[in-house]
Parts: sequence; structure tokens; C-alpha cells
Amino acid sequence: MTSTAQDLHPAPVLEPGRTILELRGLEKRYPGTHALKPVNLAFKSGEIHAIVGENGAGKSTLIKLLTGVMPRTSGEVIWEGQPAALATPHEAMALGINAVHQEVVLCRHLTVAANMFLGEENSRFGILQQRAMVKEAQKIIDDLGFDLPAHVTLGDLTIGQQQLIAAARATVRGTKFLIFDEPTAYLTRKEADQLFTLIRRLKTEGVTIIYISHRMEEVFELADRVSVLRDGTLVGTRNIAETNDAELVKMMINRSIEQVYHKEHFTPGAAIIEARNLSGKGFENVSMTVRAGEIVGLYGLIGAGRSEFVTTLYGRHRKSAGQILWEGKPVQVNSEHDAIKLGMALAPESRRDQGLCLNLPVGLNLNLPIYKRISNNLLISSAQEKTQADRQIADLRIKTPTRGALASSLSGGNQQKIVIGKWLAHGAKLFIFDEPTVGVDVGTKAEIYRLFGALLSKGAGIILISSYLPEVYELADTLHVFRRGKLVASHGFRAASHEDVLTQALAEKQEKLGGQI
Amino acid sequence: MSTEAIAVEKPKRNYNVLFGLTLLALLVLLWIVLSVATPSFASGNNLANLLRQGSMIAIMAVGQTFVIITGGIDLSVGAVVGFATVVVAMMINAGFPIWLAILVTLLVGVAIGMFHGFGIVKMGLPPFIITLATLTSLRGIGLLMTNGNSININSDTFTAFSRNSFIGIPNLFWMVILVGIPAYIFLHHSRWGRYLFSVGSNAEASRLSGVNVQRTIYMAYTLSGLCAAFVGVLLAARIGIGNPTQAEGWELQAIASSVIGGTSLFGAVGSVHGPLLGAFILATINNGANLLNVNSFWQRIITGALIIIIVYFDGLRRRGK
Repeated sequence: MTSTAQDLHPAPVLEPGRTILELRGLEKRYPGTHALKPVNLAFKSGEIHAIVGENGAGKSTLIKLLTGVMPRTSGEVIWEGQPAALATPHEAMALGINAVHQEVVLCRHLTVAANMFLGEENSRFGILQQRAMVKEAQKIIDDLGFDLPAHVTLGDLTIGQQQLIAAARATVRGTKFLIFDEPTAYLTRKEADQLFTLIRRLKTEGVTIIYISHRMEEVFELADRVSVLRDGTLVGTRNIAETNDAELVKMMINRSIEQVYHKEHFTPGAAIIEARNLSGKGFENVSMTVRAGEIVGLYGLIGAGRSEFVTTLYGRHRKSAGQILWEGKPVQVNSEHDAIKLGMALAPESRRDQGLCLNLPVGLNLNLPIYKRISNNLLISSAQEKTQADRQIADLRIKTPTRGALASSLSGGNQQKIVIGKWLAHGAKLFIFDEPTVGVDVGTKAEIYRLFGALLSKGAGIILISSYLPEVYELADTLHVFRRGKLVASHGFRAASHEDVLTQALAEKQEKLGGQI
Repeated sequence: MSTEAIAVEKPKRNYNVLFGLTLLALLVLLWIVLSVATPSFASGNNLANLLRQGSMIAIMAVGQTFVIITGGIDLSVGAVVGFATVVVAMMINAGFPIWLAILVTLLVGVAIGMFHGFGIVKMGLPPFIITLATLTSLRGIGLLMTNGNSININSDTFTAFSRNSFIGIPNLFWMVILVGIPAYIFLHHSRWGRYLFSVGSNAEASRLSGVNVQRTIYMAYTLSGLCAAFVGVLLAARIGIGNPTQAEGWELQAIASSVIGGTSLFGAVGSVHGPLLGAFILATINNGANLLNVNSFWQRIITGALIIIIVYFDGLRRRGK
């Protein structure tokens, strides 16, 4: 019959501090990559254990192994003293291992309540007890202190709210071991606080929490212990009280800032593009110039108008006022086609959605912008197609077995090299990079920055958009700061301090957040 | 999103060739088995008949494949064939020269394809919906034009074409070659062909790379309409009448041929030789079932089972298991 919230929420009374899960030489190899080198680590019940590391360090692999999404190559997992195979997600869940992913994996078209009980529906003689389930779900949500309705369609909530529902869902299934993968990426401060309350509460109930995050302040706020992964290796585990920011970063990166941000300086040449008092959807009255041989950085929060500004330059959106000058002459850019013809190239933010044809070969992806050039109107010169692709692969050091391999089979960093590299042969003069290093490991980052230098040396100009301050700060010859659709400040290379730039980008946002809390 | 290194798969460069050879082997196997099982299969008459039958579906399947590669579907092709028989029959009976009648019919096919492109690109309709709408409307327009009657074509020159052969091979099969070779060059060796694949794989990425996505979609549906109208001309020549209800259900046979030939309904995967082989495999099964006196209803069931089996095994191989 109707189960009560108590049944659904059995507080696992576990002895705190006892080892609940132990990894012994856990290892994962893919053909060509050693994603996780043998890891030995013990998780205690009732601890919040943060795992940090650069993208590509092996965090996702570790989660996938623990949640049974992928089989391990070798090693052992000991769950409560017994070896566990963790071969299927089902097995992991049956043991009490659950994960809340960064991207919500629930059914957007079903109600909150239906999602909460998905797979464990409450039914009587085969008839769903909808009303009972909504009531039940509401009770759980209220209990957790989330101010959310249970009867609405999940898709009607914000991503952050959906994330909270996903977390609530994970807690009602006898969970003893709960993994959070960058849960706060889409949350407002208030939602994040609610989530932290939930996490602390689970801890007092003896649930072990794995908390994966890029945000150091969250790690220090929540965690009892922290483990650092780098290039698939467990570098170390520290008690949170015995470590600090700098130590963790050093463990994560193992190289100095200068080695990553290799900056070449060129004397700027003639102006390539100039925006004069340009306004459009999401930004207004923006003026800037990009000259040959320089990197112009655009910094600001998401939604500050940077991406909207460049997509308008690129002809995606119509400008509402102002002027665009290309090499000194006023031009109309009405479509991407116009922009590409002028000599612009855009490497978009989301490589999977906008940048790559994943189920097509690497070579085709690299050649896509230049098929017009390597074909005589109709037929493609297959010799040129091959040499172009192979040269690109060699120049960019793309790790792929052949040019015929599918783009989907490459690692994130190598995929990003294709997105950027396909424009090199095209011979564009202005390159727009929108968040070029999101989800890319440090080594590839350095290579991408090296490519920037190669482009500049050929007389190209670069617009670099990044939400990661050190990146624009260390690379941009001119740094423009956007806030709420306006260009609020401009600096020369390393001319302002990090703090100043941050304040300029945040000013209003902080006020807004303050009001929310 | 996972940013970990993803398994680097073995390149599948020869996959298409291998799959094509498998289909060819299946076709040859069917022919051998049927030659042994029924004395009449290997007769020249029957083989010519088989080739004629398969040819028309094969040409439709090629056009259909272009559309499916872009991630779309063209449900209208059967109706276009029926409608084209009416157009060509009416024009010939009205005394127009045959070449003009054929040309106009082909242009009608082009216009229908352009209309599909317009509906998808400009009106934002799903391909399934716009081509479904054309499917039913075209049959209706054809019925209005003919008052529901068949039009007997009064030109022997026109109808004789489909019965005749050239160096022992039926003319209709030569038409497959006539369509197939340019189609192959177009799909695999022209940039437009590449764009069909890239649009089917990721329209947004293609657009940002300077590919004219809208034009590519127009092109795919136009070619499909053109192929179907061409088949309509061939069918009119073969049966000697124009009738809008002809070619009922051929769209499904064309899609089935395409899919059996290795085209992915998710787009970005397909070839020209695949659907051609697929069409002749289907034609052989139907032909063989007739000769073996298998109830014709069974043919439909066998076709369905074949689709499931081939697509299942294809999926298994693609996943590399």
C-alpha cells in the first residue's frame, strides 16, 4: 500500500568513521588512453569527501566506475567488507550508491512527483496512485526545506530547481553513498545553500558524500577530506583542515601558470574589424577594435552580453544600431555566410551542439569550411582532401588513429582542436573563440594557446571569450569587461588586477545576489 | 558532459565496402537458392522481370537516401510516382512530344521537392508532416484531374521503351545505372554530398562552418522528388496508363530498401550502392515468393522481418560488438 515517507527515507544508521567503500588498485584503460591509473582509496561512512582535479583528470571515469555505468579494467571495489562487481547501474543502486549528475537526467515531461518515484511507482492493483504520490513527494520536498511544488511538470522548473529535485530523488532510495558531480554549476546562491543544507543533513544520517567540484570555496565549505586527481592518478588525499587553496591547485596542475599561458607578443598591425557603437539583442553601445596580431579578450559573467555581441559580429543576429567596419570599410554582415566570406571564423562554445559533426570522420570535420576550395565547383579533389586533413592532424597534434576515425571517438581536448583547427586552413583573418578551453585538460589548453600564437604570427586577430579569468587575463592584449550588456571597462595586458576585473564584472550581480539571500 | 578521454575506436574506413559486400553476398545467395529451388527463376524472362520490378524502387530509394542522410524522411514519393504517371499520360495524350512530356513531369517532381524544402526550412514543419500532407493531397489532386479514371497512354513509342532491352539488359535497369552513377559521384565526391552528411550529423556546426544548410535541405528533397517523378515516367511507360492511385505504399518500400542498404534513419550514414542492393534484395524476395507460391501476404511479413534483422545486425556492428 501507500508507503510513508519514513519507508522511503530510511536513515541508514551507520557507524560513523567506518570504511564503507574501498578502492584497491581500481584502474580503467581505454584503447589508447589510461584514464584512471590504479587508485587506492577508502571512503568512510558519514564523511563528505571532495574530489578535485582538472578536466580530464579522471573524475568522470571514477564516477562511472563507482556507479556501474562502465566496467573497470582491473582492481577491486570493497563495499562494506565484501567485494562488489559494480557491473551495472542497477547493482550500484541496489547497494545504495547513487549519483546526482551535473546535467539533470530526469524526464522533463513528467511531473516532479512522477520523477521522484520513477521506477518505484506506488500502485494499487496496477493503477497508479497519482494523488498519493504527489502528496508523498511534496512531503519529502517540504521535509528537505525546498520550496517547490510536486505536481508541476519538471521541465517548468529552472535547471537549478531540477537539480534539487534530482538530489531529493537520490536521497529517498536507501542511499548510503551519494556522488554529486559539480552540482552547483547551474544553481543560484540560494539554491546552492539549500543543497548544502541537504548534504550536511545526509552526512548526519551517516551517508557518505562524494563531492566533485571545480569551486575551491565549496570544497573548503563542505568537505571533511579532499582527494586530488591529476592525469588519471590519485595525487593525494588531505584533511581539509590541513590544506589550503594553493596546495590543492599545485597538486592539481603541477605546473606553473607561465608554462600554461604561453603568451607571444606581436606588434599590432592594421585594424581588422571595428565595432562602432554597436547595439543588438543582449548588448548595447559596444565599441572596440581588433587589430592584426592581437588578442582581444572579452570577460564577463554568463549572460553579460559577450556571446551575443560576437554572434552579432558574426551575422547570426541583426544589429539594432551602430556600425561594423571590416578593414576600415563599413560592411553589412547579414548571415554567417557573409561573415565567413569576409574572413571571420567562429569556434563556438558548445562543441558537441555547435562545433562538430560527431558521427562523421575527423577529416571531413576538418575540411568542412574549405570544401569549396578543394573542389572544382562540383567534384572534390580527394588527394587534396587527404593531404589537407593529414596536415591539419599533424600540425594540431590531434590524437586520432586516422583521418577516417569518427570525431565522436576522440577525447574532448582533441575534439576541441578540430573545432579550432578547421579554421586554420580556411585562412580567416579574424578568429572568434568562445570559451575555447571548457572541458579541456591543461596539456591541451597549452597547445590551444600555442595555436593562438601561430595565428597571430600570420597576421590574424583573435577575439577570445572566456568566463575563466586567468585565461583572458594572461593572454589578452586588450581585455574588455562586460556587465549586463555593456562594455564597462577596458584594460591593457595585465594592466589591472584580478580583483579589479572581477569587481567590474560582478558589481551589479553581487547586489542582485545579496538581495536574493 | 564527460570530458574524459573517450575510447579511441578502430577506424571504420572499410565499413561501407564491407557492408555493401555483405548485401551483395546476400543477394547472390538468394539468387542461387531460388535458382535451385524453382526452375523458372533463372529464366531470362523472369530475371528481366525481376530487374524491371526492382529498378523502379531502386531509383526511388536513392532519392529517399539523400533525404534520410540529412536526418529527414520523404513519405510522399509513392504519391509523386502516381501523380507523375497522370501528368506524363495526360501530356502525351494531349499531343505534346514525348521529350517535353517527360521534362515537364520531371519538373513537377522538382517543384514538389522544392515545396517540401520550403515547408521544412521556411515554415518549420517536421519532414514527416509536410511529406505526409503531400502524400495524401497529391493522390487527391491526381484523382480530381482524372476523375478517378485511368488514362490509357496512346503512344507505343513511349510504352515500348520499358519493354525493350539494350544488350540483353532491360532498359529500366539501364535507368538505374543512369541514375546510380551520377548519384554516387554526387554523394561521395562532390561537396554537396559532403554537406548532406554534415547537415544530417550536426546542422548547427555545419552552418557555423559556412555550409548553406537551407539550400542543402532544399536540394535533398528536390532530388528525392525528381527521382520519384522519374520513376513515375518509367512506371507509366511500363503499365501504359496514368493513374494517381498507382505505386501505393512504394514510399515504404523505398525507405525499407534504403534502410536495408545501411542508411541510418538518424541521419549522416548512407550510400548509393546500399539502397540499390536493398531494393533488389526486396524485389528478389517478392519475386521468389511468387514463384514458390508463397501466399503474397507472407511477402510483407518477410519484408518486415528482414528490416528488423538487417538493421539489428547493422546496429550491433556499428557499436563494434
